[in-house]
Amino acid sequence: MFVWPKDDLNPEQVAAITEPGSVFLVACPGSGKTRALTYKIALELSKLTTAKAWVVAITYTNRAADEIHERIERLGVDTSQLWIGTIHAFCLEWILRPYALYHPDLKHGFRVIDSHDTEQMFTELCKGTPERLRPFECNYYFTSEGLRLEATDRRRHAAISGLLEKYWAHLRANRQIDFELILYYAHDLISMVPSIKTLLGSLFAFVLVDEFQDTKEIQYAILGAILKSAGGRAKTFLVGDPNQAIYGSLGGYAISRTDFADLCGLELTEKGLVMNYRSSQRIVDYFVNYNVHPAPIIAEGRDKDYISLVSFDRLTSNAQLEAELVRLIRFNIETIGIKPHEVCVVAPWWIHLASMTRRLVAALPEYSFDGPGIAPFARDIENFWYKLTRIVLTEPSPQLYVRRLRWAGEVLAALDQAGVDTAQLSRKSLLRECNSIHSEQNDGLPYLREIFDLLFAQLKIDFRAVPTLVEHYVAFFESSATRIDRLVREGGVAFAEITTFRKVFATRSGITVSTIHGVKGAEYDSVIAYALLEGMVPHFADDNQLEAAKRLLYVVCSRARKNLHLVSESGRVDGRGQPYEATRILAACPFGYDDIPPRPGG
Amino acid sequence: MHISKVQIVNYRNFSRADIQFNRGINTIIGENGSGKTNLFRAMRLLLDDNLLRMAYRLDETDFHRALGSWRGHWIIISLEFQNVSQDEAIQSLFLHGVGNIEGGAIGTATYNLIFRPKASVRAKLGELQEGDQNGLAEILHAITLDDYETVFTGKSTADFTNPAVYEALVGNFAEVRFPDELEPPEIGGRIPGIMSITKEVSFTFVQALRDVVSDFQNNRTNPLLTLLRGKSGEISAEAMAPITALVQNLNTSIIDLPEVESIRSDIRETITDAAGETYSPSTLSIRSALPEDADRLFQSLRLFVGESDDGYEGAIHELSLGGANLIYLTLKLLEFKYQTAKHAFANFLLIEEPEAHIHTHIQKTLFDRLNFPETQVIYSTHSTHISEVSNVENVNILGRVGGACEVFQPATGLQAGQVRSIQRYLDAVRSNLLFAKSVVLVEGDAEEILVPVLVKQVLGVSLDELGISLINIRSTGFKNVAVLFHDSRIRKRCAIVTDLDATFFDAVPDPLDTPAISKAKEKARGARAAGLRRQADLQEFANDNPWMSVHFAPHTFEVDFVAAGNASKVVGVLGEIYTDVATIALAKEELESNDVERFGTRALTMASSAGKGWFAIQVAKLIDPDTHIPDYLAGAIFTAHRPVSTAILANMLDYRLGHIRKTELYDADDIAEMQGQIQAFRAGQVDRAGIRDAMLASFPADQINAILAHV
Repeated sequence: MFVWPKDDLNPEQVAAITEPGSVFLVACPGSGKTRALTYKIALELSKLTTAKAWVVAITYTNRAADEIHERIERLGVDTSQLWIGTIHAFCLEWILRPYALYHPDLKHGFRVIDSHDTEQMFTELCKGTPERLRPFECNYYFTSEGLRLEATDRRRHAAISGLLEKYWAHLRANRQIDFELILYYAHDLISMVPSIKTLLGSLFAFVLVDEFQDTKEIQYAILGAILKSAGGRAKTFLVGDPNQAIYGSLGGYAISRTDFADLCGLELTEKGLVMNYRSSQRIVDYFVNYNVHPAPIIAEGRDKDYISLVSFDRLTSNAQLEAELVRLIRFNIETIGIKPHEVCVVAPWWIHLASMTRRLVAALPEYSFDGPGIAPFARDIENFWYKLTRIVLTEPSPQLYVRRLRWAGEVLAALDQAGVDTAQLSRKSLLRECNSIHSEQNDGLPYLREIFDLLFAQLKIDFRAVPTLVEHYVAFFESSATRIDRLVREGGVAFAEITTFRKVFATRSGITVSTIHGVKGAEYDSVIAYALLEGMVPHFADDNQLEAAKRLLYVVCSRARKNLHLVSESGRVDGRGQPYEATRILAACPFGYDDIPPRPGG
Repeated sequence: MHISKVQIVNYRNFSRADIQFNRGINTIIGENGSGKTNLFRAMRLLLDDNLLRMAYRLDETDFHRALGSWRGHWIIISLEFQNVSQDEAIQSLFLHGVGNIEGGAIGTATYNLIFRPKASVRAKLGELQEGDQNGLAEILHAITLDDYETVFTGKSTADFTNPAVYEALVGNFAEVRFPDELEPPEIGGRIPGIMSITKEVSFTFVQALRDVVSDFQNNRTNPLLTLLRGKSGEISAEAMAPITALVQNLNTSIIDLPEVESIRSDIRETITDAAGETYSPSTLSIRSALPEDADRLFQSLRLFVGESDDGYEGAIHELSLGGANLIYLTLKLLEFKYQTAKHAFANFLLIEEPEAHIHTHIQKTLFDRLNFPETQVIYSTHSTHISEVSNVENVNILGRVGGACEVFQPATGLQAGQVRSIQRYLDAVRSNLLFAKSVVLVEGDAEEILVPVLVKQVLGVSLDELGISLINIRSTGFKNVAVLFHDSRIRKRCAIVTDLDATFFDAVPDPLDTPAISKAKEKARGARAAGLRRQADLQEFANDNPWMSVHFAPHTFEVDFVAAGNASKVVGVLGEIYTDVATIALAKEELESNDVERFGTRALTMASSAGKGWFAIQVAKLIDPDTHIPDYLAGAIFTAHRPVSTAILANMLDYRLGHIRKTELYDADDIAEMQGQIQAFRAGQVDRAGIRDAMLASFPADQINAILAHV
């Protein structure tokens, strides 16, 4: 049985993970939710009595899965019976691949396409539509009841549905599925072929779900069906924070304890984590203003007594924004000594961020930046070449050894899946081959092409004869080329260089730039947020505008340990030329904001 | 759960084979070289952890030779499991990988090894235009083993041994028609990476061995060592500590003996004297070989067995071969028992030719008693001793037909009652029936004794050489046994020989008949009626069965033997039966009378007064090359043995010609001429019709001409 040093967990964490039955854990920001989940997994793994049962953990991102996996290994617990990954990876590995034979659309095999492919296909299909459909309008997801469109304008739904029919027909003809279809088919299979849930139900001892507040109805339905068929033998552990549910527009929501209990036929004990180990008392006092579900939060961390600066700025104009952000960054780093990698700049929409990042890079040449806008290729975790890129762009080092070994395992599994004979390869030999290959290319994409060719020549595998690999190859290089074109146009040729490529996988060293959705789960000493404007925060398409705004602000503000700077710049106009106003609930929040720099004696 | 079916396509000497198994104990019967070892090897490629890696190293020699060129073809080995349940958690992982879902539940599981060209090659084949022979030749020519891949799949639905299914999956090479579907769902899905079937089930293979003693001495194969290793982990350190202390003490004490030290220094000295300091080893010591490490010490234990009553226990190499084999098999079974304790839901024990291990008496009892729960035992044998105790429903017969192995299930489609009577028959008269290449079924002892001698003396070949088993049914209940030979059961030829029992005298009742004659007439009429009924019945039974033929002696064997021209042979035994000179003279006259009523009655009278068996033994002594084989018998023999090979036919002709030469009745030139003809026939320069005509023209009186009419 796994035991931990007494100080590793606080009493409420211990209570949550030692509860013998199923648990519904509501965790406030900074409460050590991931730690509780990690220890819970370790504990359940150590309790397994048979080699034929798995502990399954569903995380929101692959990165989170990687981190938790490594942490459990460091705890000295055998992870051979742990399966951890995203819900999409779960559906692929446990449902679609083993049971594809039983679905008419999948029985001849299938390939997963990435969001880039989808976007391209939407762009193609939108061309010449009488309704002038645009690609972003076509986004969709499924519930257990059927199709849901993201577009809010119901008058356009018929046209979008028609376009989607063509899109799906095209995918079917090419034996492809996208991320939403992974969930759809998984749910379809589970419902059509009851044996699947019976088998899976008896293979899983425990199903844990991280960040349940951003889980979609269809995902709850899939997991609930499996758990229910286990008839009580499999237990569950849901952890999340309903106040941080920010994926409502994509169908994510925080299920209630009783609803999930009904779905899976289990009694769930509700537990809470209310100790915030991240933020100062002042920060906590501020972000609780935005909670939707009131809950007590106690600042308990090292920085709880830190004299935080919380500022709110509605005066800066859009034109002055870059200068103001530079001023705030410099103030935090140079005046009050915050380390650059502890500073994060967030904004609601990616399109605002990408160009701003490049401008900041230019304006603050002495600092480095990490952000989506400067990554030269899409982080498409299911793309084979992305998986391989992770290995070839990282240096062999003792710190990275375990991680690279796992990446190598994923590459081998993907090769295997694509029908390549990997009997002669091991994870170690693959790493060895990767480490032995060098190229003098300075240009990022040609560098990767050359490395890939060299590597496959050495492995004696003709990847151009393997349809899946070719398809992924084209997608990877096309989407990367598109990104790099834009990056180079706006920020200079340095973006195309291999050194920039390598930074994508380097450990965090610079100022982070991210969307609000992208900082989920992260924490920084200082958080600088801008574009906090009605229509963006909340998103104009969100159902419940007030609650959506609150949740976004709650997430943004609770990322900060020490200082928080909120900017609702003036002078931005929307597509119809109407000026954006500051987010209403933010503007209405009474709080004693600080000036930056603080007025002497203020 | 048990293996219910094995399908093998294109593997070694299997072209297409379906082998059926039941739960419990199953038998594979087959002559040497029929494919028993290859069948086990095929199964082990999927189930035996020790052989699994070989599945990735299949090569051109593993392809069925009759394919001609293996290039482009697939090897498929498919296992089907029955008695599976999705509701048993212990089976879930297994079924997650290989369970076939049908109608909302899982009734079977399938697990396949497929060795096939990689997708890129299959794609190229799929793109060929139908009939594009050149294109096909070009692709096939370039194929090497590197273009092949081994895949393991589960949940397949394809009936791989059906030629049409194979063609749909793999292609038609003759007409160049290949599927463009590269991922046919019928072959099943790949086994998920998280599972390994060999870890899910427990599997033990006991090889037919030739040298048990060396197996015991080899650390890798010593079954005792395997058992000790398994248990050594369970011994507590505390229990072993005092023992290892004793060993250490003993080891140091023994080398401290002055005698040991003096030998050591003497060796040292002698070496130095002999080889000089430069070439002598630098150090040398004498130590005890008893290991001090707890595990190794435990594993150094040896088995001693007492075979005789004097209380002496000897090491394995001192045992009799049978004794050592029995111990070996016992330890393997124990090893299996230990294994099954860990897995509860599926255990497989494959034993190759247990007759190689154990004495005949034990063979019989072993499989009666071998009864492990949840365990399927499959053993192969060519011993009739073992096969007679096995349930005929759990038997697969492997037979070599040409270069390929054919598989027969002797009880397919039979009703319980039919199976029972076959089983009774097999138990009673040995099961060599199951090993036969072809069989001739006869009614009684006379045929059983005389037919082999007749064939040997008249044709110069033995029934064994012809691959014929002559089976004495000892009644007219042929159907009970003959039912085995059928398209869906044993596909080998079976000829039934029976008496029509036609009356050869006037059996019409006459008021003047004495009571004895009246009774004889009545009996004859009854026999004739029964004969006719049997004829109709058997003809109906054999109708539409290409493996079955029925041959009727017009009257009764003894009568028809005389009728065939063998009166002199029966006359030859008169002295053994009668002492009265007058009776002998009368009998001789009757036998030579050519009047069936007279010689028939006499022959029967002799046989019944002497006993049919004893009578036959006496006649057999007189059978010589001049004897005539009754035509219906020749018909039966050469219907069962068909086709007669050129070599055998030529041998028979040579034999007859040799006999003709001995008689010195024929012109030497004619004989030499015929000799040449036979040689030309052997060389393929003269065909069968030609040699037949030549023989008939040159030696029209010889018996062989009648035989040749049947060949």
